[in-house]
Amino acid sequence: MRHPLRVLALACALTLTPACAALQLGQTRIENPIAAAQTIDQRAYALLHSYAAIVEEATDIVADPATPLAFKRALGQAERAATPSAETLQIAVTAYMRARADFDAASSANQTTIQRTATALSIAARRLNEAVAAAQAPIAELEGLVRAHRG
Amino acid sequence: MLNLLLQLQLLLAALSAFLPLVPEDHRVRAAEILDVAAKALAAGGSIAGNVDDLAVKLAAIRAEVEAMVASGAGVSAEQLDAATARVRAASAAFRAALQTAEASAT
Repeated sequence: MRHPLRVLALACALTLTPACAALQLGQTRIENPIAAAQTIDQRAYALLHSYAAIVEEATDIVADPATPLAFKRALGQAERAATPSAETLQIAVTAYMRARADFDAASSANQTTIQRTATALSIAARRLNEAVAAAQAPIAELEGLVRAHRG
Repeated sequence: MLNLLLQLQLLLAALSAFLPLVPEDHRVRAAEILDVAAKALAAGGSIAGNVDDLAVKLAAIRAEVEAMVASGAGVSAEQLDAATARVRAASAAFRAALQTAEASAT
């Protein structure tokens, strides 16, 4: 190989070009399903599904023998922090959906029942909001690690 | 993106077919360059494919949420169960993969 630097430069260009193009920087389009949601239960649903997709990607990275062990451990730490908050979110959204169903069912009941179910729905909504807020940071941390590795 | 990579790889393969026409003293170098280019494209394609993979998954979730918003529907119990099951399965697979990686490192 008479011009190793030229060959190396060509190899670098060809390696990096498709990977950079895949980032779609020109379009600055990073899909954010949570931003599309309009209600609190839709937001929670989008966050849960997004988290699952991120963990699936993290699994591929961890299964790759070329990934440094330290990075795999960092992913493991981030996953251990994020999964409990995703589970809390799932419990909160289940409780919210039950409270909403009870409220809807109580529409023809007496005033006391309506007030009781409305209060329960309000509490469930507040807890769900808190669970969404608490889950976002650890999930974003894991997503950041996955994107840093992929990018 | 992946289609472009495939086209480039086909182009390289087509160029390789013309190698016998290259003067003999340059043929080895040309073959080496084509080989390096093919390997680089394969590596870049792998990275791009992985980035695309997460983007595709997130786009699919977004499309589902947008459809939910457009129809004015809330999240159903079945949809929530599916999301929960997906999280559990992904988490279990991740922990198993991490355990395997730890075991093979020691």
